[in-house]
Amino acid sequence: MLKWIQVLWPSFLVAAMAEAVFFTVIDPQQLYLFGQPVDYGELATYSIGFLGFWLVCAASSLCTIFLQRSASELNRRN
Amino acid sequence: MSSPSPQPKKSAKQSSSESSESLYESRRKLYVRAVTGLFANWRWALVWITQIVFYGLPWLTWNDRQAVLFHLTERKFYIFGWVFWPQDVLFLALLLIISAYALFFFTAIAGRLWCGYACPQTVYTEIFMWFEQKIEGDHGKQQKLDKMPMNGEKLLKRTTKYFVWGLFSLWTGFTFVAYFSPLQELLAAAPGFTFGPWEAFWILFYAGFTYLFAGVMREQVCKYMCPYARFQAVMFDPDTLVVTYDEGRGEPRGSRRKGVDPSTVGKGDCIDCSICVQVCPTGIDIRQGLQYECIGCGACIDACDQVMDKMQYPRGLIRYSTDNAVKKGWGRKEILGHVFRPRTLIYGFILAAMCVGFVLLLANREPLRVDVIRDRSSLGREIEGGMIENVYNLHVINMSEASRTFRIDVVGIPGARIGSAQSVEVGPAATHSLTTQVLVPYDQGQPGANTIAFQITAEDDSGLTITEETTFLIPK
Ligand code: SF4
Ligand code: SF4
Repeated sequence: MLKWIQVLWPSFLVAAMAEAVFFTVIDPQQLYLFGQPVDYGELATYSIGFLGFWLVCAASSLCTIFLQRSASELNRRN
Repeated sequence: MSSPSPQPKKSAKQSSSESSESLYESRRKLYVRAVTGLFANWRWALVWITQIVFYGLPWLTWNDRQAVLFHLTERKFYIFGWVFWPQDVLFLALLLIISAYALFFFTAIAGRLWCGYACPQTVYTEIFMWFEQKIEGDHGKQQKLDKMPMNGEKLLKRTTKYFVWGLFSLWTGFTFVAYFSPLQELLAAAPGFTFGPWEAFWILFYAGFTYLFAGVMREQVCKYMCPYARFQAVMFDPDTLVVTYDEGRGEPRGSRRKGVDPSTVGKGDCIDCSICVQVCPTGIDIRQGLQYECIGCGACIDACDQVMDKMQYPRGLIRYSTDNAVKKGWGRKEILGHVFRPRTLIYGFILAAMCVGFVLLLANREPLRVDVIRDRSSLGREIEGGMIENVYNLHVINMSEASRTFRIDVVGIPGARIGSAQSVEVGPAATHSLTTQVLVPYDQGQPGANTIAFQITAEDDSGLTITEETTFLIPK
């Protein structure tokens, strides 16, 4: 449980910031996905954008946790 | 929770009724005793004020629209008479900086005022605990209920509590989404829960987190998750007012009969009733000194004052005081005299300057914006009548909420004039893009790039005018 929170919570905070900055600067109507203009409707674009940021940030937190394990923890597993 | 960690047995034993789900470390469930008094009144006042604002704002209308709406689909922020566009991001940035400085300022003066009174985490926890108390009874009854085996009464109380918390959370989530999506549309969709998929998602998301944070996690959010709680200590200094236990007066602590003069029994004023610990929402003992878990809510002050009253001892065994005051034995006057010190004065000065700047910028904000882009596909070309023509794309943003007509002029080269579209009408809070030509007599300007400027002026208000520079190309 602690691991989950450590991964999901900081990434949530950073994703919220990234979302705000990104969509202030960029109008979703200017986005292209595989060469096609994005036309999901704005709320969907914002939401997918947020979840995407969250996912990326969470992946980073996950890597941190993964690489942070100490030698003793790694040795014990084998 | 059922991960094969090295100590599952121990935690399984503990987690019967004493500790709830251990999210971070095994956590002793707190049964917080309700408290009344000066600081509790302040906290409730702030609960009311913040929540009336939060739940009420989306219901207000202004100019026939929702008064406060961060309209994501239109990419416009409506705040009463103002309409903000993404181009106004400066205001948002300023507002964030002002909030940060306000936080520094208040923290330097009196510690975690924000945490104790205004933070949504505190406010919602307070509200959820109030429901809990109304349904399950006081902290003693809650504890008993937890220990009780499941029976009819427990089932009823539990389901009622979860149901009320759930409803309240849903309402909170709904209100949150109403800041971003028009309330009237949401209301229309509410009876059958026919919201758009993303609206539904965000309502449930926000409701879920409200429930989780205020109902389940409570002080753990402050202790482990909040970034502010982690760095607030750097804003403290020895003159910061914090909740303090007067050790010199209280120790040695010990019980005694009511009204006994402590000096006759060789004790201090603390009767060791532990009520200050029972009321603490973070479960700490303030008598061990200031700890980072303390959110400065003042509940222990209220509780201890009541005990002191009962014992007929003077109040203030636990009170707002400063490190310096405790060490140097200062009274109230000296403490207040040190509120104004270089640190707070600097924070205060920057804060005031920022606020003034913000207001001035807002007052002088022109409700008109123009972007000019020279059409790059066509270079300057000669046309009949001895003129040279350049083509421009104009993007006119009317930020006011009335339809307006703007006159377009061009200056910079003698004899320059607009070929077509000398005026443009732009709807309320709308943008209009148009293509226009600028014509310059053949014998004017120099070959190459010349600077010209568009002047866009509101026809109903000649004071509202904007000049945008661009280049005019004259072929060699
Ligand atoms: S510690 Fe953080 S979450 Fe808790 S009351 Fe303070 S600001 Fe709010
Ligand atoms: S120690 Fe007192 S002021 Fe601090 S959190 Fe606990 S009750 Fe509130």
